[in-house]
Amino acid sequence: MQAFEYARPKTAQEAVALLASEWGKSELLAGGSDLLSRMKDDVSAPQRIVSLSGVHELRGIAASARGLRLGALVTLDELETHPAVREHYAGIAQAVEQVGGPQIRNVGTVGGNLCQRPRCWYYRNGFGLLATYKGRPLVPDGDNRYHAIFGNEGPAYFVSPSSLAPILIALGASLRLLGPDGPRDLPVEQFFVTPKSEAEREHAIKPNEVITEVLVPPANGTKSGFYEILQKESLDWPLAMAAVALQMEGRRVEKARVVLGQVAPVPWPSAEAEEALKGKMVSEEVAEEAGRAAASKATPLSKNKYKVQLARVAVKRAVLLAAGLVKKGEV
Amino acid sequence: MATPLLGQRVKRKEDPRLIQGRGHYVDDIQLPGMLHMAFTRSLHAHARIGSIRVAAAKAAPGVVAVYTGQDIQGQLGWVPCAAGIEGLKVPRHSCLAIDKVCYVGEPVAAVVAASGYAARDAADLIEVDYEPLPAVVNPEKALAKESPVIHEELGDNVAFVAKLAGGDCASLEADKTLKVIKARFINQRLAPVSMETRGVVANYSPGEDLLTVWSSTQVPHILKTQLAIMNSLDEARCRVIAPEVGGGFGSKLNVYGEEGMACLASRRLGRPVKWIEGRRENLQATIHGRDQINELEVYVRPDGKVVGLKCSIIADLGAYHQLLTPAIPTLTALMILGCYNIPNVFVQTTGVFTNKMATDAYRGAGRPEATYIIERVMDLVAHELNMDPVDVRMKNFPSPDDFPLALPTGVTYDTANYQRSLKKVLKAAGYSRLRKEQERLRKKGKYLGIGLSTYVEICAMGPSSRMPAGGWEFGEVRIDPTGKVTVLSGTSPHGQGEETSFAQIVADGLGIPYDDVTVYHGDTFQVPMGIGTFGSRTTAVGGTAIYQAMGRLKKKMARIAAHQLGVKPGELVFRDRRIETEDGQKSIGFAEVVAEAIFAKQLPPGIDPGLHEHSVFEPSNYTFPFGAHVAVVEVDGETGEIRLRNYYAVDDCGRVLNPMLVDGQIHGGVAQAVGQALWEELVYDENGQLITGSLMDYAVPKAHQFCWFETQNTETRTPVNPLGVKGVGEAGTIGATPAVVNAVVDALKPFGVRHIDMPLKPEKIWRILKQGVRN
Ligand SMILES: Cc1cc2nc3c(=O)[nH]c(=O)nc-3n(C[C@H](O)[C@H](O)[C@H](O)COP(=O)(O)OP(=O)(O)OC[C@H]3O[C@@H](n4cnc5c(N)ncnc54)[C@H](O)[C@@H]3O)c2cc1C
Repeated sequence: MQAFEYARPKTAQEAVALLASEWGKSELLAGGSDLLSRMKDDVSAPQRIVSLSGVHELRGIAASARGLRLGALVTLDELETHPAVREHYAGIAQAVEQVGGPQIRNVGTVGGNLCQRPRCWYYRNGFGLLATYKGRPLVPDGDNRYHAIFGNEGPAYFVSPSSLAPILIALGASLRLLGPDGPRDLPVEQFFVTPKSEAEREHAIKPNEVITEVLVPPANGTKSGFYEILQKESLDWPLAMAAVALQMEGRRVEKARVVLGQVAPVPWPSAEAEEALKGKMVSEEVAEEAGRAAASKATPLSKNKYKVQLARVAVKRAVLLAAGLVKKGEV
Repeated sequence: MATPLLGQRVKRKEDPRLIQGRGHYVDDIQLPGMLHMAFTRSLHAHARIGSIRVAAAKAAPGVVAVYTGQDIQGQLGWVPCAAGIEGLKVPRHSCLAIDKVCYVGEPVAAVVAASGYAARDAADLIEVDYEPLPAVVNPEKALAKESPVIHEELGDNVAFVAKLAGGDCASLEADKTLKVIKARFINQRLAPVSMETRGVVANYSPGEDLLTVWSSTQVPHILKTQLAIMNSLDEARCRVIAPEVGGGFGSKLNVYGEEGMACLASRRLGRPVKWIEGRRENLQATIHGRDQINELEVYVRPDGKVVGLKCSIIADLGAYHQLLTPAIPTLTALMILGCYNIPNVFVQTTGVFTNKMATDAYRGAGRPEATYIIERVMDLVAHELNMDPVDVRMKNFPSPDDFPLALPTGVTYDTANYQRSLKKVLKAAGYSRLRKEQERLRKKGKYLGIGLSTYVEICAMGPSSRMPAGGWEFGEVRIDPTGKVTVLSGTSPHGQGEETSFAQIVADGLGIPYDDVTVYHGDTFQVPMGIGTFGSRTTAVGGTAIYQAMGRLKKKMARIAAHQLGVKPGELVFRDRRIETEDGQKSIGFAEVVAEAIFAKQLPPGIDPGLHEHSVFEPSNYTFPFGAHVAVVEVDGETGEIRLRNYYAVDDCGRVLNPMLVDGQIHGGVAQAVGQALWEELVYDENGQLITGSLMDYAVPKAHQFCWFETQNTETRTPVNPLGVKGVGEAGTIGATPAVVNAVVDALKPFGVRHIDMPLKPEKIWRILKQGVRN
């Protein structure tokens, strides 16, 4: 790990002022569960670390008629155990309760979860976000068992790691960014972008911006569910996950949002699955069909066909969970 | 009258301090002037070392010294190997690589600095020129003529070939009435992953000419002898202390180069030197376990009786021998017949050098491999003959009257009743009900699997004739003037709980409160001799030494009491803090006798003052605990995920001194065994890079992944020691792996599956399901 300067501002405004306007020079520190491991592995070497631990305005969950406001420093554990989240946003609770282990959820924050960098093992071993060696992409012929099965025409092959992003997108959430020129709002969906070159990032954030909060619209009866599949259930990331939000009339689906995670460089909304659900009475068969539709356009790499099957199953089971046809632990 | 303490669920003496975070581990030791050491390790699996540039490291802030292999050559002995196998090739194993590196993670240079961070940063500044050589990774290819040779001076990559034969396998080949079943099993490489990594503090004090070493070790006395030899010191000038040790699982039954280096640095610098291993180092450079390829031929009569077993074991030993590396696979050969009296056996074990970290004793050490082989074989027999796996086992068990039972492998099993434990576990699991449920679910396209394992293991290591450094153990009991008791043991428990069971033995025997007994171990200045804790020997061998020492004390106390009471010593019993006749008519307080013995006012003639006895117990044989396990799994047909739904274990470890300790050992052991079956695997790529080098990639199981384990016991005492105790430290790990694999193979029977190699990862299972559906 390289030596660095440590700053601990008291307000988000001060934090913004302490950040450099170029990538790589400074990094925000929230729970540190992603940043510190990158620094220990020499994947990131910021000269200045700006800790958010003293910025109290970024804490707290507020549930009201206008929806849910999540401060960027809300921990995953606080989110998972919040009564309003558990009652109205089952999909969020289901997504978060499986992240890492209790220790990770106690330190990991909402802002950090959305901004965490990919787990691609080439990236984490110093080959860059686009995983190249002497200009040659390493993933297509390499060990790509954990890489993208959608949106993988290159040059990006990594998968978006956040468990929180797909469900927030399915629920239509947005986030607020504070920069030198003041705040701006952005739908979470637009926060994730596929980089075209090594100079670009996978997040639509500027080096000197801070996420201050995430806003989830009122649930108004929207039913949500989340399902993920891990390989070893140890400290690993899921191989595929799906978040589903259903607006229902009885058992009939008025409108569906289906967003997959861990399958593409960005959280991957599936128009095909949404179409397959629209207007249908939810049943095992309809859920199965949604899964099949979601997987239909997948373009697996040489070693990750298994992920296509898992994506299909994740969608099916997330639909059943969201619709309340099965309970957690029964699927 | 107080209930006997032995056999009670007495709470552990160790727990209050451990639960409150008040245990003292190596890293908690702070000494004035202490320096810290870090290692530069090889990035290559196999390479010649060119020049090593250390100037930048030497100039780095806080750095006191930098050592390379050249600097220590001739100044520090080789890393020792104690395994005695005929014709064994032993490569020279320097604490720091000298002209060649042979595995990723091999120490190349050491930096000593004022702080751990300074040492680590400086170690990263050392530049080593390597000339990479082709890596030898696959042990079968390592045997080929054209393979690169790791230790040129040894000629080839074969460390040893050992043959074990009993009966006459050759005669079976001609017998056409026999069915021959062939199989090939891979027992993958595992990491022990103790919670506390390795660590050492060495403090050489020039004035006293005394080297004191605190090490996270399972064998302080062996370590003391070896460090004394490596550092050319008299053993009297060397003291080893094992403070609290946060788990070992066999990985700390060793003498490591880093321990040697800490001693050398402290001797040269005259200051204490500490080294604490990081987790990555722990996965790279602490011994690994298992790693065998087994090719089998099994001869079976049509009724399911197995009459012959041939096995070739290829054991991947890694690049160098650690303390017991080559001995481990020979235990597999020894126990390959499991609970079955198969008259003809032939095992050829080939130990092979590869460019990897050494394998050595990991919980079970050779016996889990044996159990896996024979228990998978029993299921294959059932599969081929279309029999119930229960019936195949019953058919091949010896009768309880056959014990002691001499097997063609050359070992003699002490006592057992395999039928009883199998029946008991089947009852606990509701075996026939489970089979019906399985049928029902199969019709619905759901896959439930039921797996058995009936195991026997060899432990309580062991008679000195079979152990390189002796197999006895030392125990001492002394009673202090206040009547409180101090117990010393040459064993070195590190989580097992013998502070508790040893105190139970002594309090029970002396008829005094459990809290009056304090147990010490792990300091070579306090305990004059010892072997250590491994091979499930601590209670059976170490506990017996204490029991015998206590017996001697009791004799002496009885003579003193008898003298006072005017009775014969043989008439007296020890109970409720008194020594008295059975009817209680003549009685004297325990404390009074203690005072008499120590203040020595009216001792009977011929009795020396003091209450202080020791004993060295030499067992006449190993012991052979056994048991029967049932695993119930569900396989998710869509994803290939496996859920362990139920686990039932009936274990027989001889006499149970404390059921809670036994349960704890079984639970932990089963968890590690399931870890091997389902998740754990150390993977080296074709260049010899360890690609499962962090806990992110190496899947150590966590509590939430398990169902509750239903444990029960049967008690078949052993005559090998007076306590009747067999040992239980490794039983779970030895017994459980095949139960889980058998269950998964059983679940996938409709797909024609006969065998799947571990770990049973979901993707592997899904591919099988997919093919099956297609067919
Ligand atoms: C073993 C393990 C398993 C895991 N499994 C999962 C999983 O299954 N699913 C999953 O989603 N995650 C998983 N994670 C990742 C974990 O959820 C993230 O590391 C965590 O959520 C990040 O939050 P943090 O507060 O610790 O981030 P930090 O490490 O503090 O920061 C991460 C990044 O976000 C930036 N950042 C932080 N806060 C802000 C802000 N307010 N505005 C702008 N930028 C910010 C930082 O600069 C940094 O670059 C796992 C992690 C581990 C170690």
